[in-house]
Amino acid sequence: MEYILHIVIMICIYMVLVLSANLPVGMANLLTMCQAAFYGIGAYIGTFFLMQFDLPFILLAILVMGFTGLFSMIVSYASVKLKNDYFILGTLGFQMIAYTILYNWTDVTRGPYGIPGIPTIKLFGIVELEGVVGYCVLALAVAIVSIWLFRMIKSSPFGRVLKAMRSDELSVRALGRNTTLLKVQTFFISAAFSGLAGLIYSSYVSYVDPTSFTLDESIFIITALFIGGIGNVKGPVLGAVFVVILPELLRFVGLPDAVAANLRQIIYGVALVVVMFVRPQGLLGENSK
Amino acid sequence: MLQFLINGLITGVLYSLLAIGFALVYNTTKVFHIAASAVYVVAAYMFYTFASVLGMPLPLACLLSVIVTMFVNWGTEVVIYRPLKRRKASLNVMMIASIGLMTILVNVIAMFYGNETKVIDNVIQKTYTFGELIFTTPQMYQLVIGSVVMILFMLVLAFSRYGLRLRALSADETLFETLGYNTNGTRSGVFVLSGAFIALASCLTVYDVGLDPHMGMNVLINAMVAMIIGGVGRFGTCILGGVLLGVLQAVVVYLFASNWQNAITFVGLILFLFFRPQGIAGYKQRTV
Repeated sequence: MEYILHIVIMICIYMVLVLSANLPVGMANLLTMCQAAFYGIGAYIGTFFLMQFDLPFILLAILVMGFTGLFSMIVSYASVKLKNDYFILGTLGFQMIAYTILYNWTDVTRGPYGIPGIPTIKLFGIVELEGVVGYCVLALAVAIVSIWLFRMIKSSPFGRVLKAMRSDELSVRALGRNTTLLKVQTFFISAAFSGLAGLIYSSYVSYVDPTSFTLDESIFIITALFIGGIGNVKGPVLGAVFVVILPELLRFVGLPDAVAANLRQIIYGVALVVVMFVRPQGLLGENSK
Repeated sequence: MLQFLINGLITGVLYSLLAIGFALVYNTTKVFHIAASAVYVVAAYMFYTFASVLGMPLPLACLLSVIVTMFVNWGTEVVIYRPLKRRKASLNVMMIASIGLMTILVNVIAMFYGNETKVIDNVIQKTYTFGELIFTTPQMYQLVIGSVVMILFMLVLAFSRYGLRLRALSADETLFETLGYNTNGTRSGVFVLSGAFIALASCLTVYDVGLDPHMGMNVLINAMVAMIIGGVGRFGTCILGGVLLGVLQAVVVYLFASNWQNAITFVGLILFLFFRPQGIAGYKQRTV
């Protein structure tokens, strides 16, 4: 039972991550390679607040999302200045810098040793989350709120302007929309929700270290997004479920661990290539044309 | 200090080789060939197989590895990029497919050879001393072979018909096709040549420091940074960028510590992207 709940929690965390990657990548066609950086920044900021203060969850979430969002300014600035491949390279650089800092600034992050013993989250400041069940309820709640919110965004005027910007940024500007502000908002929301996922993750496993937030993790999130589908809510949800469930399924086949890890990656890779050939917008994604 | 600079220069030569391998594809086809990192790993493991498992002499093993890698890199074009291009896929789609291919190749290698680090040759290398400077044998090979190959490449690029075609393709693909040249043929040539550069960079590096299946990405990113710093759109700039990056990293290691090397590299990248996206000597890019 605990095992199933654990999988549900991981699915929820990845759902939030992939949904928040979908906002810039799927809706605005700004391919970022630094979602794991925000995930990590959120996890470390969350750890800091959890260890220093005794805050109710809502306040904690707002603080973590706000501070992680601030870091997104760097990426928004890059998205205004840089186009296409240059933007991708810029986000890649941001990801590498964030990781190097988390890894090497040992005075603050304890670097490769990681931070153990992160306290559990308290709801409303009174009810302490108990074990896997508590986290499962919280993760589900957060995932549902994210799904609801991203669905709202998609059908809102904001979402429609984003889609317009995806097809023709100059026209959107000519029609009087401030695309710079639009990008800042996009990345703020995206980073904030990635950070929220980081907060839940760090408190759930009660340990963080920088190796969970590498470039490979960013690529993994993007992989999940593109397999599931870009531009709507169904796609990212499917992608997250797929990438979390697959390794568990392989475990039941009974392969040795070393082979299973590689085989899983190979399946992701094949899935990604096949999807790019057959449905470039992803399995459940929206056609951008 | 001088020793550090020389070491940086040699690292830089290796970055330059890989950067040329990446830029050959990027400049001419605009494909963001991330799978090059996996091709780099494939080359390393071919070299390992020929040299350490089958016990061939190193130059032969290197040559065979280069030839196999040329085919592998050409294979990525035939299997992935060309069909996607025929489907009029966007460059982003090609890049994502490239990421998928990279994942597949790296993990197939890891499955066959294991995830641990391997070495080609674990005898203690002879060193050469010039005044105060010390070179190891692999470093000598890296410097000499790397420089000779790059000089040859620049000469070919400048004076041969193929070099001219290559530059023409990178300037304007549609026009190139309109004028009756074989785009697919030239593209194939580009990927084969790029494979050779990737393989050479890989063999020279792993002969010195050993190999593991996940080393490709980090090296490739450094090569991309070298390409950006030098300037996109040309090839000689890759050499400039690579050497500059190698020396810069060596200076960082000398002044601070090696663990901040990556941070400085990427801060450099971002500064260049923001303030001089065309690099030191690149062509000004048209933004689309």
